[in-house]
Amino acid sequence: MTPPPVTATPVVEHGPAVGHAAGHAPQGGLSHFLSTYVFSKDHKVIGLQFLFSTLLWFLIGGLLALAVRWQVAWPWSDVPVIGKLFAQEGGQMSPEFYTMLFTMHASVMIFLVIIPILAGAFGNFLIPLMIGADDMAFPTLNMLSYWFMWPAFACFGASFFVEGGAASGGWTSYPTLSTNPASSPASGMGQTLWLLGLTFVGVSSMLGSVNYMTTIILMRAPGMTMFRLPMTIWAMFITAILQAFALPVLTAAGFMQLSDRMLGTGFFSPEGNVVNNAIAGAGGGQPLLWQHLFWFYSHPAVYIMILPAMGMVSDILTVFARKPLFGYRPMVYSIAGIAGLGFIVWGHHMFMSGMNPALGITFMVSTMMIALPSAVKTFNWLGTLWGGKIQFTTSMLFALSFVSMFIIGGLSGIFMAATPVDIFIHDTYFIVAHFHYVLFAGTAMGVWAAIYFWFPKMFGRTMNEFWGKVHFFLTFIFLNGTFFTMHILGAVGFPRRLADAYHYETFHHLQPMNAFMTYCAIGMVATQVIFAANFIYSMFWGPLAGRNPWNANTLEWTAPSPPGHGNFDYQPIVHRGPYEYSVPGVEKDHLMQTDPPNAAAAAAAAAAH
Amino acid sequence: MGKRLAGIFWSLLFLAVPVLGVATFAIAPAYDHWLPKDVSEHGASIDSLFYFILALTGVVFVVTEVLLFWFMWKYDEAKQQGQATYIQGSHTLEVVWTIIPAATLLFLAIYQMNAWADVKMRRPAMSPTVEVVARQFEWRLRYPGRDGTLGTADDLFLVNDLHLPIDEDVLVQLKSMDVLHSFFLPNVRIKQDAVPGMKIPVWFKAREAGEFDIVCAELCGWGHYKMKGRVTFEPRAAFDAWLERKYAEQGATQPPPEAADMAAAE
Amino acid sequence: MNTSNPSSAMLRSTVLLALLAAVVGCGKTPPASFRLNMVQATKTSAPESGMEKPWSSWARERQAQVATILEAMYGTPDEPVALAETGLDLAKLQLAAGPVRSDIVGRKNGLYREHCAHCHGISGDGMGPTAAFLNPYPRDYRPGKFKFKGTWRDARPARDDLARVLHEGIPGSSMPSFALLPPAQVEALVEYVRYLSMRGETELSLYTYAEQELGVDDVLPTTKEFLVDEILTPIVEKWQGAEDAKIPVAAVPANVDFTKPGDDPANQESVARGRTLFHGDGGCVKCHGVTALGDGQANDYDDWNKVIVEWSKEVTGGLGTPQDDAGRSAWLHAAADVIEGDALRPRTIPPRNLRLGLYRGGRRPVDLYRRLYTGINGAPMPGVGPSGPGGKGSVADAEIWHIVNYIRSLPYEFDGELGADRPMVAKDRF
Repeated sequence: MTPPPVTATPVVEHGPAVGHAAGHAPQGGLSHFLSTYVFSKDHKVIGLQFLFSTLLWFLIGGLLALAVRWQVAWPWSDVPVIGKLFAQEGGQMSPEFYTMLFTMHASVMIFLVIIPILAGAFGNFLIPLMIGADDMAFPTLNMLSYWFMWPAFACFGASFFVEGGAASGGWTSYPTLSTNPASSPASGMGQTLWLLGLTFVGVSSMLGSVNYMTTIILMRAPGMTMFRLPMTIWAMFITAILQAFALPVLTAAGFMQLSDRMLGTGFFSPEGNVVNNAIAGAGGGQPLLWQHLFWFYSHPAVYIMILPAMGMVSDILTVFARKPLFGYRPMVYSIAGIAGLGFIVWGHHMFMSGMNPALGITFMVSTMMIALPSAVKTFNWLGTLWGGKIQFTTSMLFALSFVSMFIIGGLSGIFMAATPVDIFIHDTYFIVAHFHYVLFAGTAMGVWAAIYFWFPKMFGRTMNEFWGKVHFFLTFIFLNGTFFTMHILGAVGFPRRLADAYHYETFHHLQPMNAFMTYCAIGMVATQVIFAANFIYSMFWGPLAGRNPWNANTLEWTAPSPPGHGNFDYQPIVHRGPYEYSVPGVEKDHLMQTDPPNAAAAAAAAAAH
Repeated sequence: MGKRLAGIFWSLLFLAVPVLGVATFAIAPAYDHWLPKDVSEHGASIDSLFYFILALTGVVFVVTEVLLFWFMWKYDEAKQQGQATYIQGSHTLEVVWTIIPAATLLFLAIYQMNAWADVKMRRPAMSPTVEVVARQFEWRLRYPGRDGTLGTADDLFLVNDLHLPIDEDVLVQLKSMDVLHSFFLPNVRIKQDAVPGMKIPVWFKAREAGEFDIVCAELCGWGHYKMKGRVTFEPRAAFDAWLERKYAEQGATQPPPEAADMAAAE
Repeated sequence: MNTSNPSSAMLRSTVLLALLAAVVGCGKTPPASFRLNMVQATKTSAPESGMEKPWSSWARERQAQVATILEAMYGTPDEPVALAETGLDLAKLQLAAGPVRSDIVGRKNGLYREHCAHCHGISGDGMGPTAAFLNPYPRDYRPGKFKFKGTWRDARPARDDLARVLHEGIPGSSMPSFALLPPAQVEALVEYVRYLSMRGETELSLYTYAEQELGVDDVLPTTKEFLVDEILTPIVEKWQGAEDAKIPVAAVPANVDFTKPGDDPANQESVARGRTLFHGDGGCVKCHGVTALGDGQANDYDDWNKVIVEWSKEVTGGLGTPQDDAGRSAWLHAAADVIEGDALRPRTIPPRNLRLGLYRGGRRPVDLYRRLYTGINGAPMPGVGPSGPGGKGSVADAEIWHIVNYIRSLPYEFDGELGADRPMVAKDRF
């Protein structure tokens, strides 16, 4: 990493001035308002639009989960709020309503919350800022990627109100349950709207991923080599590649299912398939085909749902440990390894599906191996903390909990990778525990870490640290209470997706544990009121933040808080990697990426400003 | 001082993770919140693999989480004087903690292949003992009848009440009439999806008599939760006697007396 | 930029958000309640000329009277009442009624709501939340008609008939088998079905009485003599008589051997005789088709759907004509709303495909005998046996066994590859 040549005169190097940091002068008029705040092409506004929309859907998905938990803990009892829909029956929900609840909980969380918040909100906001660009490569495409989410919101939202209710075939939407309109109440309009919504989300993601890849490859600031990129950007970059290659398969499969449902084709239905005494369709297809196509996308999707969080957590840990990232290159290679291997493990969702058991062996081997890069990353995080000077800010606490919880989620994956064990735990709560640990206890904690961390940059004010820690503490306790015992339920064989499991001899003693878990879940959702209040209050009345409240190194902290159009006062020029914390011989405990190449020059620059 | 107390508090909170985690797994079996009783022959290899992985991941879990706690405790800013250690990484460590997990995982992968092949690939050469056809929302059973062949007019048709002999190989032919279902016998460590359009063999041997649950383990619609079946394992003689009773009932030409109508169907 | 006292401002926002959540979310759902049979209620409440108050408020009053009487006689879904005259066992009803729970002594309650209500409805009207999506629709108990039983066609089912349906389920429909429930729970559910059916029949009887006997200003009598003697007793008598109304089952002829399959030589003569009767005196091919695939005539409705279809025809026909007074128009519009919103969309009933080997009422020879003897009550399927004790049917009692033998052989009759002239038969389907 050789620094660029020092020019003769100015001690501090600046590039040509670009844009202005102050806010734009108000020019009035509706079209101006629309183009600035609604149909904006500024990546920061788009990022915030994604953030607000996904946080709102996070609330909806969480409430759906509470309804699921209620039924699992106290089946056929009077459900709060929703019970009014079933007033005739005294408030007890119908079984198909339950299947809809868990289907839509998962669909909303995966497609409308986690994927858009990582790539759409944080990817959009951070990528140009962290690489030193003034915006994305394709600003109009970027705006479209946000607005394509709105038809998706409309489709998913409307599906709750159509006859038969929202989709209820599971978020995995397996045929022939989902392809045959007679197979379940929601297998009519609800399922069709679900497929359409998915298509829109897919288009939005594709537009985004094209943008991110191009921007990261072509628009980096001078001096920002690939191996000086912060881990956040590496993660976003590789995630974008994953999206681009995997998503078309899901879109194609979605069209095939729509075609089966509406045009009478038989991609996924065998001949003579009669469901609920309805006339059989054309047939000639295979239900397993959908599973292969679906999981070919959805397995990389789960890495799409964690890699950005891993990247952001890596960055946050270094800032608050005041230490360089341990093993930068291995960390990059690990992310690439996870992504690459992620394309050849999809069959581990199908071990029991009836596919050739020999494939069970091949997928088992590749799945075992994908645990390796994740393990390497975990060790490197621990290495990052070793010998550090840890500041326990709210953001850091969430980042640390990501590591702690990811360990649990990752290790539990090994059980299901082992095919003989999977015979027993497939489709039980062991699986539910695993993915909630990686997705909620992992990614969502990472997302909160990122929100608390980058909030000052987004809004120019910091969130309240005390209430942030209260939020963290309660969420941490309640989420472990809700999800850890799911491993135990899975060990008993407690199946997923059952509206009432207690009439089985094997499971009828598990009700008290489920009741405990539901109390914890209620606590967890209630805790988010604190977060919401903190977020909203701090947006308008929080203490003003400077450019770099955390004394971090990466480029976004050189821009004003919040940055204006064009992001930076002057074109940033990068002289070093992003993790130069506690450099020996330097008085400041961090050297920003844009700080001049030698220490004396740095000191003089500090004196001059 | 306040900051140090805070650091201690957070470190101890993270220490609670391995402590309570291990405690949960240690205490659960005492409350019957653990693997259900296994009456199959192959179940022991599945259970022992489960325990092996549990031990392995348990050790890794405890070590990594305790390290995390320890680093949080020791490297608290309120406790540290001077600068943090400026180190970019360690090539040696990277090699060590790549090779060792890789070898372990590879060993684990190879070690379990036999167990999988036994349950899913090495089908015994025999004709089906029973055909189980999953349907929204019940298990329809068909026994071959006195001629021993499935698909002839003397087949025995039943619902949900599966009987099988112990101490001999049993072959179940699994089909589905409508949508995906999954034939899950928790106490036999057997699970296989029933796919419409496919005929999938499932085989096992039970060592012990008893009555256990059949659970549907693949979402099949609103009634997925009520697809409860019962499998009764009994000695061959009792099994044959039960079959005879059922053949007789299926050929009943007189309604049995009222009280016996239900009891006789047992 | 007011940063003074941020903590208290935070507290205020938190409390406000929490209050909002509480306001939106609070309030328990009222207890379950029976629904009136609105189709019958509107059908039997034609306005008369010279009514002083508007028809709609008069109809509501009438319905309220009926509801009050029914609540007094039968109680609520949470707390059933069993008048001594009905002969119903209150303890069993209490097991089945109420919200789902297990009380302290480890006894399960709320059985009906746990197992049945979401299809059959809390009132036994066959219109639970799931019902609209099922094919065939779940049974509506209120007319007191049941398809699969061993009693004379118009008689009520005996207790063991109902228990048998619960035990075996109805293959080919969404009615599952409850064979794994303890017998005491099955008995409780059978009792509750009888209770709901009696309640439904009482309701229908009250509407009929009101339509035929009462004037516009009359109120339904609530005296014991009226309610018990005139309304309830005929209903209860039919139910109690069911136990003794079993059809006689003729002896099996010598050339029929049900221990052997239908295509066995021992049964050849009988199966041939059965085929002759099927195509001849039995009159089966008109609906089931000469192929026995159920491809004969298929435009008929079962009785439950027929009520809706016929009433809906009257209503739509009446809506178009000029009304003689405002009450009439209100009545017809109310009826149209009820049919639109409160009744399941009518479906025709296809004749059974006999080559599938799926027999809804049970596959034992005696089950098939019963279906043939009395036909299926509530469905267009006529019986070939006598219509009452001491009568004469179109086929002799003993000969019915030959038709049974023929039907049992049908699913295995075809040979060769699957194709247009050889549709899927039992051995492929299963």
